Amino acid sequence: MSTAGGSAASRLAVTSGTGTVRLKVEQASYAHLATDRSAPTFTLGPISFEAEGHELVAILGPNASGKSTLLTLLAGLNKPLSGRIEVDGTEVTQFDLRVRAQRIALVQQESELLFPLRVWEYVLQGRYPYGRRLRFESDEDCLFAGNALAQVGADLLRDRWMDQLSGGEKQRVILARALAQQPALLLLDEPTQHLDIGGKVELLRRLRRLADGNRYAAIVVTHDLDLAAEFCDRVVLLHRGKCLRVGTAAEVYERALLEEVFEAPLEVEMRPNGRPRVILQGS
Amino acid sequence: MRPLTARRLALICAALGAMLFIAVVISLRMGAYPISIPEIVMTLVNRFFGRRNEIPPDFWNVVYEIRLPRIALGILVGASLSTAGAGFQALLRNPLADPYVLGVSSGAALGAIISLAIAPQTAGMIQFAAFAGAGGTIAAVYFLGRRGGHVDTATLLLAGIVAVSFLSAVIMFLMTTLPGREFRGMAFWLMGDLASPPPISSHWLYLLLVIGVGSIYTTSSDLNLILTGEQEARHLGVNVNRVKIVVYVAASLLTGLAVSVSGAIGYVGLLVPHLMRMMFGSDYRLLIPTSALGGAILVVLADLLARTVVAPTELPVGAMTALVGAPVFIYLMRRRVR
Amino acid sequence: MLETQKLKRANSNNAAMIAFAGALLLLATAVRASADVEPGGQSNARTPRYRIVTDDVGREVKMPIEVNRIVTLAPNLTEIVYALGLADKLAGDTNECDSPPAAKSKPHVGEPQNPNLEAIIALHPDLVLATTAINRVETADALGRLGIAVYTSDGEAETVLGILDSIARMADLMLAQAKGADLVAQMRRRLDELHKRLEDRPMVHVLFVVWLDPLTTIGQKTFIADALRWAGTESVVLSKQTWPQISMEEVIRLEPDYIVFAGTHGESKATELTDLRSRPVWRDLDAVQVGHVVNLNQEVIRPSPGLVDAIEQLARQVHPEAFARRSENRGPSSEIPAEEPIRCAR
Repeated sequence: MSTAGGSAASRLAVTSGTGTVRLKVEQASYAHLATDRSAPTFTLGPISFEAEGHELVAILGPNASGKSTLLTLLAGLNKPLSGRIEVDGTEVTQFDLRVRAQRIALVQQESELLFPLRVWEYVLQGRYPYGRRLRFESDEDCLFAGNALAQVGADLLRDRWMDQLSGGEKQRVILARALAQQPALLLLDEPTQHLDIGGKVELLRRLRRLADGNRYAAIVVTHDLDLAAEFCDRVVLLHRGKCLRVGTAAEVYERALLEEVFEAPLEVEMRPNGRPRVILQGS
Repeated sequence: MRPLTARRLALICAALGAMLFIAVVISLRMGAYPISIPEIVMTLVNRFFGRRNEIPPDFWNVVYEIRLPRIALGILVGASLSTAGAGFQALLRNPLADPYVLGVSSGAALGAIISLAIAPQTAGMIQFAAFAGAGGTIAAVYFLGRRGGHVDTATLLLAGIVAVSFLSAVIMFLMTTLPGREFRGMAFWLMGDLASPPPISSHWLYLLLVIGVGSIYTTSSDLNLILTGEQEARHLGVNVNRVKIVVYVAASLLTGLAVSVSGAIGYVGLLVPHLMRMMFGSDYRLLIPTSALGGAILVVLADLLARTVVAPTELPVGAMTALVGAPVFIYLMRRRVR
Repeated sequence: MLETQKLKRANSNNAAMIAFAGALLLLATAVRASADVEPGGQSNARTPRYRIVTDDVGREVKMPIEVNRIVTLAPNLTEIVYALGLADKLAGDTNECDSPPAAKSKPHVGEPQNPNLEAIIALHPDLVLATTAINRVETADALGRLGIAVYTSDGEAETVLGILDSIARMADLMLAQAKGADLVAQMRRRLDELHKRLEDRPMVHVLFVVWLDPLTTIGQKTFIADALRWAGTESVVLSKQTWPQISMEEVIRLEPDYIVFAGTHGESKATELTDLRSRPVWRDLDAVQVGHVVNLNQEVIRPSPGLVDAIEQLARQVHPEAFARRSENRGPSSEIPAEEPIRCAR
């Protein structure tokens, strides 16, 4: 059972794979406080679900359903108004900044770099949480960074400049940096948004492999119904800030429910492997 | 994969330090008064051993009252401005940022002009007033640039631009309406002038330099991360707001320090960080110390040229920094394999 | 094992930082410019006797009683030195010292606003002359710190007579009292003569142009305004500033009788009457249409002996009737500059 301390012992525990990661979201709710620009208050929750190591969980919903907000709660960037969000028994907002970065990695969609940077430099930055302020990277850091690059299949990109990469390559490198953090929880915010169908499938397959092969739990925010169904162990369905259902894709994908949430005529078909497929209706 | 190591940092700093030393030696040697290297060495050695009366007064004057103070000031100003420039480029996420973009030099200029109008004959007054003006502007722009308790980069930049415009207008107004006798000094101050040493002992100024550069240096790993995105940096555990405040205050104080003692010398804060980036990469753990050293070298050499090229006329240092820095910059730009 | 490695890295990191800080501090100590050490004295072989005088800005100057090497930092001071007959004691002057022409071949120390301190030291001056009209306080301070005697005269005299006093004081300074008194008396005499001639003449209103773009003229509290009065003219611009900028509208409203330019600011061509006549707005001014444009030598804007020449020159052009009867009495004593005044083609 790893604790919330940043000590060497708990870190080694993470790397050696003893114990399993557990994310527990219990009745978490949140609201955007109304600013003086009188924007309407947006409420989220209450939401409850759990995720364990090796699991790939999708947070599914149309635009403006609160998916990204939920992700910020999971990342500990915002404090829930009520309820708890715990990683391995400790509330995420109670982690000290560096420790939280050792436990939770958030993968952004894009990275706007200001000055030229090599791929390995970028990935090595993922090791920042592990060490004192002005340290220079150790051999161990380089090892982890190298592993991360290998895990995303970007080993050969190591010496390239970041701004010379293609979209897909860059995404893999961003993912590698997150993996270099050796997290317990991997959070991804709409990672497939700018990718073509080939890229989407490749990314999800990779995530699936990573989740299978490593201890962490991966949470993916998406509005892609098919990908969520095909690759994820569990789906959390959100609609306008409310959590409508949590379960496997087969449990969650009910036609009437989906049509109401996504406001489009749909049909749900069960496939032989137990995973549903969603078909758009034309006219 | 060749991450930055302490050894590499030390080697590069030593190399730049050696270059600075050479620049200092050359600068000590050259000038309108004919004095040879052995004579300079003799003067330095005698002083070191306290044998003051064995030094001819002219040598003493040339070495200790004219050249060395200028060189020392040049090092101070060059290091301050370059480090501040590197810091602001990270803080404002803008490669075109220079130390003056947030209004520090305009505030200092306003302080200088007010002091010239009120007490033109008091030695050292202009520098104190300039520093006060700089400090006031730093505080004002900071408070204008906050949004919801955080330092917001875009708002900060806007606040700075507004400050520059407003202060420039006030300065122009004052220069036109006040009787014009005392503003002769102002022109030199605006162009950058290393000939008037500040009233405080340079020990204090160097201490401030070390504190300023050191403070920014402590945030250099954080800055590396912040440059890939503020949110990303937060997720990696960086206390972004705290880092921004530290860099803002330190870089502004360094700028205020440099501008108060020597006026607004241009291009150093903008060119040197880019030059160092092209030579050594964008890692701020290396960029900060190399910018400081590189800036010192640039200003010392520029000042040397300024006072020898068309002697006895002295050219403004600010013009020479551009003339010296720009060709190197262009050369490196063309050579870069990207 | 990893721990010790990390510790080693941490230590070498610390070492690098300390080394860097140490290098800076070392440099700082090495270049310590001591402000607390007394500056050196003169490097002359003899030991001259000293006296302490107070200059025009209140600075106490310790200078040798015998002044043999003078450096001037402004053109008007150079002129004064020549007029006092001390030309062979002038060791150096500035690039801009062009009057008399011999001054151009003296060793130069740079520009008045920013002279080269080392060049001054190399000339081993006994006395450096500066003026508040064009030199900076910082220069005088720096020279003082170097142990060089610098006397700053008040170049912002508001009257011509004040300039005469200043010249007399400077003559005393350099032990040329006799010549100084003579020079001053001569200048005074000429001014008085001029005053007598012009006694019954009506005041002529002029616009004194220092600079055309932007249009800059002189204020009331300047010696130039006073000089204009000595020449029987009055500046139409009433301003407390030293170099007020005015608009063309003001010029039209003020209707000056004459336009007076002061020499070669690189605009000598423009001051040709024909050029003014081709400028819009200017060409419609009465003064331009009638051809009442005067171009003086640059000496007018310098507080120097040449000022009297310029005053006379101006008076001649603006009040020709006062001189017409006495034209045969022109002698070598009145030094009118060689440049011909511009006369209109009527």
